[in-house]
Amino acid sequence: MMFFHLRNPKTVLRKILVGLILFFIGAMAAYLVSLSLPHVVGNPWGAHPLTPILTMTLIFLVAYKPVERCVKVFLEKNIFRKKSYAQWTLMELAEELRTNLDFQELSNLIVNTFGEALHLKTVALLIRDVTRDGFEIASAFGWPLATSRRIFLGNDSPLVRCIHRMGPHVLVRGPLLKSLSWQEANEMARDFDLVRSCWVLPLFSKGDLIAMIAFGAHSPDTVFDEWDFHFFRKFGESVAPCVANSRYVQGLRRANFELQDSQAEWFQKTKMSAIEKLAAGIAHEVHNPLAIISGKAQVLLMQKKRTPLEPHVEEALNVIVKQTRRAADITRKLLMYSQDSRAPQEEISFEKILDETIALVGYQASLDKIEIIKKTDPSLPTFWGNTQEIREIFLNLFLNAVEAIGDQGGRIQVEVRISEGEDVIEIRFQNSGKEIPQEDLDRIFNPFFTTRHEAVGLGLFVTRQIVKRYGGAIRVESQSGEGSLFIIQLPRTTAEGETPRASAEKPKEGTILVNKGA
Amino acid sequence: MKKKLLLVDDEVEICEFLKSFFEDRDYQVATAHSGVQAVEQVESFRPDVVLLDIQMPEMDGLSALREIKEKYPRVKVIMVTAVETQDRIEAAMRLGADNYITKPLSLEYLEKDVQEKIESLAGI
Repeated sequence: MMFFHLRNPKTVLRKILVGLILFFIGAMAAYLVSLSLPHVVGNPWGAHPLTPILTMTLIFLVAYKPVERCVKVFLEKNIFRKKSYAQWTLMELAEELRTNLDFQELSNLIVNTFGEALHLKTVALLIRDVTRDGFEIASAFGWPLATSRRIFLGNDSPLVRCIHRMGPHVLVRGPLLKSLSWQEANEMARDFDLVRSCWVLPLFSKGDLIAMIAFGAHSPDTVFDEWDFHFFRKFGESVAPCVANSRYVQGLRRANFELQDSQAEWFQKTKMSAIEKLAAGIAHEVHNPLAIISGKAQVLLMQKKRTPLEPHVEEALNVIVKQTRRAADITRKLLMYSQDSRAPQEEISFEKILDETIALVGYQASLDKIEIIKKTDPSLPTFWGNTQEIREIFLNLFLNAVEAIGDQGGRIQVEVRISEGEDVIEIRFQNSGKEIPQEDLDRIFNPFFTTRHEAVGLGLFVTRQIVKRYGGAIRVESQSGEGSLFIIQLPRTTAEGETPRASAEKPKEGTILVNKGA
Repeated sequence: MKKKLLLVDDEVEICEFLKSFFEDRDYQVATAHSGVQAVEQVESFRPDVVLLDIQMPEMDGLSALREIKEKYPRVKVIMVTAVETQDRIEAAMRLGADNYITKPLSLEYLEKDVQEKIESLAGI
C-alpha cells in the first residue's frame, strides 16, 4: 500500500511514468502477439481465444521484472538525470573540499551531500581511531541520535579485513555476502549492520585505511551499476586526502590548545612558587620584628594593674597590637594561597561559620548601617572541609561587600543552599554596594587587583584559590544599581575520604592536626 | 615548686620580653638561642614546658624537638613559628609537639596554653 502524500512529487511522477510506459509496452506486446500469433502457431491452437492470453501471461511473468528495471534505469538516466546530477554534485563537492580544512565541517558536507544527492537513507563518515581498534563517527545522517560515537571494528573484523584485501573498491553487501560461507556471511552481515549500510566506500590515504563512508538506501530498488561504483571509487580517492589533511590539522589544533593550556598552568605554577618563596621569606623576616613589637606592647598592657597607664597610651598600645596582627595577616594570606592545602578536614557547619564571620564583621557593618541577612538551608548535607578555609571565603566576601557598600548604608544577603540535583552547595552572596565595572569583572579575582589605595588586593584571589581547591567555581554578576552577586559552587563531599580536592592532599594524620592556636 | 619554662628563640628580644612576661607570672624561666643550647638546657634545667622556635641557626627547632622528645618525652613542647607552612606544622606534630603558635604571639593565649600544659603534667 502506498501513501503517495508522504512522498515527494518527483517520486510520484516517476512511479506514474514507469506505470504508463510499462502499460504502453504491455499493450504493444499484446498487440504484436495478437498479430503474429496466427502466423507462428498453427491451427487449431492459433485460432483458440485463450492462446493470446496464455502467451501474454507467459511473456509477462518472464519479462516484467527486467523490463521494469530497464525502464526505471532508462528514466533515471535520461529523464530525471539523477545519477549524472548526483555525480556532478559530488564532483563539485570534492573540488570544494580541497580548500576546506575544518574537519567537522568537511565531514558534515560529505555526509549531507552524499545523502541528499543519492537519496540515501543512512550515510556516515567513520574515521579510523589512532589505536586502530575501531572507528569514530565524524558525521552521520539518518542514524539514531543516541548512537555511541565509537564503532568497534578492529583490524581483525571481517569488514576491515575484507577492505584490506579488496583495496579502495566499494563493498556491496548483497553480492559480497553471497560469495561467503554461511558462517563468514553472518559475521560480515553483522559488521554491515553495525555501520547501518549496504555499501561501504573505504578511504585510503597513502595506502592506509583512514576512514570509510558507509551508506544505505531506503529500498532495495536503489541500484548502482559498475559505472557508479567506479565513480564512487574516484570520488573516494579525491576526498581521502582532504579528510586526512583536515584530520591532521584538527590534531595540530588540539595539540596547540593543550600546549597553551599546559603553558598557562606552568606559568601559574612557577609564578606561585616564586610568590610562595617570597612570602615565606617575608613572613620570616617580618613576623619576628612584629612579634617583638606586639609582644612588648602586650607586656606593657598586661602590667597595667601594677603600673597604671595613661588612657591614650593604653589605646596606642592596643592599636600597636592590632596593627601588627594585621601586618602579619598579609604575608599569611600570601602564603595561604601559595601552599597546597593539607589542612585538616572536618565536618563543616556553614551556619556556624557564617555566624562567627558575621560576629567578626558585624561591628563594622553596624557602624556603616549595613543590614546582614542570612539564610541557610536546614537540609544542607554534610560537607567535609577545612573550617579555616571556609571562614576565609566568607570573611573575604564580607570585607569586600563592606568596602563596596561604603558608609552609605546597604544590605548584604548571604544564602547557602543546595542545588543541581543535590550535588552542589551554592553560596550566593549579594551586596547592594557599588557595581563592578564590566571591564573589571574578569580581573577582580587576579592577585593584587584592587580599586582601593589601602588594600592589598588578595582577598578575592585567595577566595578563588580556596574554592578551586575544593573543585568548585566562583563567579560574579554585577549590574548597575543592583550591586553585585558572588556565586560560589562547591561540589558536595559525602565522606571524609571523598573530598574533591584536586590531588592527594588529604592529610595522612589529619585528626592530630588541631590548630588550637587559631 | 616553681613552674619551669624554657624559651628557645634566636631573636634575643623575643626571649627577653617573654622572659619578663613569664617571670612576672611566677615562672622560673631559662632561655636558649639555638637548638643545641636548647637540648643542653633541657638536660640541665629540666623545664616543664619548652617554647621552641622552628627556624634557628645551628640545630633547627624540628631537630631539637626530636632530641628533646626522644630523651624526655614528658617535657611539653610548644612550637613557635614565624611561617606556618602546613608541612612544617605537620612534621612538628608528628615529632610529638604538643601544640604550635604563630608569631606575632598573643601573650594572653600563650599563657593560657602554657598553663594548660603544666596542669596536664600535674594530672599525670
